[in-house]
Amino acid sequence: MPTHLEVNGQARETENDPAIPLAVYLREELELRGTKIGCGNGECGACTVVMDGRAVCSCLVPLGRTEGRRIETIESLGDLNNLHPIQRKLVERGAFQCGFCTPGIVMSLIALLRRNPRPDDAKIRTALQGNLCRCSGYVKLLEAIGEIVREGLHER
Amino acid sequence: MNAEFRTIGKPRPQLEGPAKVSGRAQYTHDLTLPNMLHGAILRSPHPHARIRSVDLSRARAMPGVVAAVCGTDFPDLKYVNAGPAFADRFAMARDKVRFTGEEVAAVAAQTPVQAQVALAAITVDYEILPAVYDVETALTPDAPAIHEKSDLPRNVAQESIADFDGVEQAFGDAAHIFDATFEHGIVAPICLETNGVLADYDTETGDLTLWAPSQAPFFVRKEIAHVMDLPLEKVHAKSVVIGGGFGGKSQSPEPIAIAAFLSITTGRPVKILLNRQEEFLSGKSDHAKKMRVRSAVAADGTILGRHTEFWVDNGAYTHMGPAYISAVRQRTCNLYRVGAAGFDGKLVHTNKVSGGSYRGMGSPQIIWAIETQIDEIAERLGKDKLEYRIEIANRPGDRTPQGWEIGTCALAECLEEAGRRIGWAEKKDAMPPNRGIGFAAMINPSVGVLYAEGNFACVSIDLLEDGRLKVGTQSADCGTSQNTVMGQFVAEELGLDADVIDVLHMDTDETPPDLGSAASRVTFVSGNAAIKTAKSFRAEIASRLASHWDVPADEIDFTDGIASYKDDNARRLTLAEIAALEGPFRVEDRYDIDIPRPDPKTGYGHYAATYGFGAQAVELEVDPATGQVTVHKIVVVQDIGRVINPLALEGQMQGGIVQGIGMALREELVFNDGVPVNASLITYKAPRIQDTPEIDIAFIETDDPTGPYGAKAGGEHSINPTPAAIANALAQATGTRFRKLPIKASDILQATAVKPSPDLKPWKRPYNLEVASARALYPAILYPGLRKLGGKLGRKPAAKTEYDYIRPKNLQEALRALAAQDRKAKVMAGGTDLQVGLRQGVYDADTLVDIADLEELRGIAIAADKVIVGAATTIAEITERDDIRAIHPMLTEGLSRIATAQIRNVATIAGDLSQEKRCWFFRSGAQCYKAGGMTCPCYAVLGDNRHHSILGAGRCAAPCVADAAPILTALDAVVVVAGAGGERRIPMQDFYIWSGKTRVAENEIIRAIEIPRDHVPVSQRFEKVAGWDGDFADASVAVNLSWDGPKLAAARISLGAVAPLPVRATRTEAALLADGLSDTAIEAAAGLTVEGALPLSDNAYKARLLVNLTERAIKNSLPE
Ligand code: FES
Ligand code: FES
Repeated sequence: MPTHLEVNGQARETENDPAIPLAVYLREELELRGTKIGCGNGECGACTVVMDGRAVCSCLVPLGRTEGRRIETIESLGDLNNLHPIQRKLVERGAFQCGFCTPGIVMSLIALLRRNPRPDDAKIRTALQGNLCRCSGYVKLLEAIGEIVREGLHER
Repeated sequence: MNAEFRTIGKPRPQLEGPAKVSGRAQYTHDLTLPNMLHGAILRSPHPHARIRSVDLSRARAMPGVVAAVCGTDFPDLKYVNAGPAFADRFAMARDKVRFTGEEVAAVAAQTPVQAQVALAAITVDYEILPAVYDVETALTPDAPAIHEKSDLPRNVAQESIADFDGVEQAFGDAAHIFDATFEHGIVAPICLETNGVLADYDTETGDLTLWAPSQAPFFVRKEIAHVMDLPLEKVHAKSVVIGGGFGGKSQSPEPIAIAAFLSITTGRPVKILLNRQEEFLSGKSDHAKKMRVRSAVAADGTILGRHTEFWVDNGAYTHMGPAYISAVRQRTCNLYRVGAAGFDGKLVHTNKVSGGSYRGMGSPQIIWAIETQIDEIAERLGKDKLEYRIEIANRPGDRTPQGWEIGTCALAECLEEAGRRIGWAEKKDAMPPNRGIGFAAMINPSVGVLYAEGNFACVSIDLLEDGRLKVGTQSADCGTSQNTVMGQFVAEELGLDADVIDVLHMDTDETPPDLGSAASRVTFVSGNAAIKTAKSFRAEIASRLASHWDVPADEIDFTDGIASYKDDNARRLTLAEIAALEGPFRVEDRYDIDIPRPDPKTGYGHYAATYGFGAQAVELEVDPATGQVTVHKIVVVQDIGRVINPLALEGQMQGGIVQGIGMALREELVFNDGVPVNASLITYKAPRIQDTPEIDIAFIETDDPTGPYGAKAGGEHSINPTPAAIANALAQATGTRFRKLPIKASDILQATAVKPSPDLKPWKRPYNLEVASARALYPAILYPGLRKLGGKLGRKPAAKTEYDYIRPKNLQEALRALAAQDRKAKVMAGGTDLQVGLRQGVYDADTLVDIADLEELRGIAIAADKVIVGAATTIAEITERDDIRAIHPMLTEGLSRIATAQIRNVATIAGDLSQEKRCWFFRSGAQCYKAGGMTCPCYAVLGDNRHHSILGAGRCAAPCVADAAPILTALDAVVVVAGAGGERRIPMQDFYIWSGKTRVAENEIIRAIEIPRDHVPVSQRFEKVAGWDGDFADASVAVNLSWDGPKLAAARISLGAVAPLPVRATRTEAALLADGLSDTAIEAAAGLTVEGALPLSDNAYKARLLVNLTERAIKNSLPE
């Protein structure tokens, strides 16, 4: 039975095995490789995408469950030469280093800011607790997010 | 301050930033080639065994499989790693395996799943050998020999002994002798990107091309050419984006050679990606070690001499061990002024994963040991601990007893500034209880020449057609911005804007040789090379234009990207114009550190161009009820020479410091019979965003004459003093010195308890007698016996990689699917545990019945007498409901402590209740009582049982860690279960049979949870203690009080994570009702929770924790 879903605004139909993780479908069938896999077990958040407005680990969502759902991945934001203001801020503020965690962090952040455009520090930390970053120590990330919130960048 | 510079000293975002943040950067995981195969590796299940035979025939016949290989197929060559003298490992095990997880065979197949499935079809015949897991046992004369041939004592891989004169004398002259032993476990690098490789062998040309996230393509190429028996020039490493290094990707990780060989065998590209568990099992982590530090101190505090003995766990094979030994011995007597130095270090084989390298290479821990002792010296001599450090700080012009000649050095200033910034003078005499401030310092060579190849670097600069420049370096940027910094050096030297420069790293065809990124060397060595090359580039332009313009080259000026001759407007060219005139060209140059290498035997010598210094100050607070530590602030003051890119450098400092927090308080691999049982990012507790404190960074610039623009090295400096400063702050906060890292909350709680340990009265549970006698028999009789028996008769847990998935339309259809006889179906709601557990072999199913979206199971209804929560309602949906919060605040608040936002968004309330037990032996595939059956042992009895039950454990000691369990028990909830014959209702009180085992039958589905509401005033509280915020609990308490006016009418208290079932604390409840709610009554009532407890060897802390937590929960639940 095919699965019908929407990925980054585009309707998709796939005959792929409904048991495979959404992350694998995105990366291998759609070649949307911005979504990273750091553990495959829901532990690191590198695979975070937005599903019907909520941040989820795409490594733990079976493809079949995306039937009728809306998925947004990092590729739905800016591209290389036209970054989303949030992305630009993260770059300018040195909010990440190796960048492997970054697409997942951006998607967690998008989901947070859509529901709560003015989160305080505690809410930001709660929303990102599932996104492991080994490089940055999170300091510059928190600073950058503070500026994103103050400047209302996600609304642009 | 840096007004005279164009780009040096300016914050420059990293060059690769836009590609990374937009998801467009190409990591190894993201690469594909036409015709590519996927490789998978079969790993040894035994820590030590002889391989009698490997049968690949069945695997070769499996669908999609193109090749299957084992060790004897590979060339008969060993990795050279630390030099031929240490070569002890084949690219794949040939005759013997020496640790669990060692590579035994590999397959290449069309898809990753086919490759995985084919592994199960390989049969290996092992002869199991006795194994040894710790250094002490390995050194005993009758320990099994892990490697046969050696001139050294049994299992010793290397000895490093030195006494640079005067140590004995120093101890003879000393007024005080300090002597203590310190120990630490193995820390894992945890790169978010696991190791992987894409290898492509061209059968026609014989060229092997590799894409792999390596810190050192130079090493990879050398090793792979060697073990594949190919000429060096036939091996090519290509540029990729790297997802973190920290030492974890140094040398040549094993998958590279295996993928290379599979590609050579098949003539097709082969990609291998390690999964997270493999990364823990086989990826090289840090080394563990034990250190005995003895210091001889004069009456005035002068350190006359120090002798350090250290024993390093090398693991099964020698990789970074010798480099580690040399890094550690060099930290023993160089920091602070020490008179005489001596050490005795041993590198010892055990049957564990080989030691690799991790940020700091053992320095943070040896510094921790020394700095602990410095604190103790200051205490004994009645000196202020900061002033004493300043007194004994290294000064410019010093020569250390290990031969380091100190050039620029601002250590004293760093210490002073750190003291000022943490407010030491104001705070030291007014420290509130449970708070502490600690100091520590560091010294690091910049850059040490540990390898013969390490003292040079080459850089190329290409002038491209459009006038842009491409800087080429074989070092590898793992995310540290070193490419950006290299670009800055070239830009500065040539007077260009940094954004006209691109940097290509790693590529061994396109860029000139360089050792790679290790030991914080790139800024310094490669940076100097970049500057030198830029100078040559400038000279090249001049010489080329000199002939065009017919003027002397030395009169040609090159500023702001324009070459000109005097004021002659006809002789003025931009880089683009030069490129048009001359065509693109390349300039390469090389920088050598011109100093002798240290004595290889002892490390003696002035072997670095200069040395970096720094000091850190930490302020923290301990929660005396739980032992948990809150780090409030870390100050770091670093003598860094000159700051090239503050944005990048601050990022390095912050990242390293937060890793240091993990190293100090939480991180270590926990082994059971040589297998890490915490091989997941839940149980291996790397710091998360909630753990990040305020970090205050200051740089003292000393403008080092040897460094590029005066810079010193930077990358590892950050982590080096952090664990020490934390430990010293903890000592002040708790009055206890801890001599083992990490210093866990449980250790702190046990060491610092103000109250006597709770009275457990184990006889209150008669069954305890039986349990206690069985445990007493475990070491000698039961454990060895059951392991043998279970090995023969027990069920073997089997990982599932493939299963069917169905999505029923309604509950009836779901129940029918479960009833089907021809398959083993299992209900899946959120699936956050089930899908993982299938791979861990803790569930068995061939079909998952996804009920997450079934209308009948979803939603929340608030009735007059109860709240009804659909079983498949997600945790997030519940916690977001204000109406539930108004009725049962504990439910929303308690559930919001479960896991992380992403998990709460899909995990369901019924799923939380139904998850399998979290015992780390069970979850790591041990054939334990619960996995293998009656004939198997419980590994928790003798293994590390810090997370296990203290109450009511029987043959299995796994606790119930579902947070919803104690909460719903305290709320007196009822679980409504649907089956073929209709519905039944199970009170929470009776819901569990054992940890992870409920009364819901395989063919039943939980439909809803009903939570009564009484319309009387209630007050509730859920308290939980866990390793990190979102982790599974070590103890939790749910308190639900009902009030009749000011009088307590009813109390329901339930305890989580301390017993296999959620335990009702009935005696505590009764005591509260009978004795009232005074502080002493609450304290006494809380003490009753642990009556009848029978802790295991490592979890006695839980009794104390439970009592304290209960007391806190009751107090916090009382209405204002
Ligand atoms: S890859 Fe999904 S959480 Fe780690
Ligand atoms: S930037 Fe490397 S893991 Fe976050």
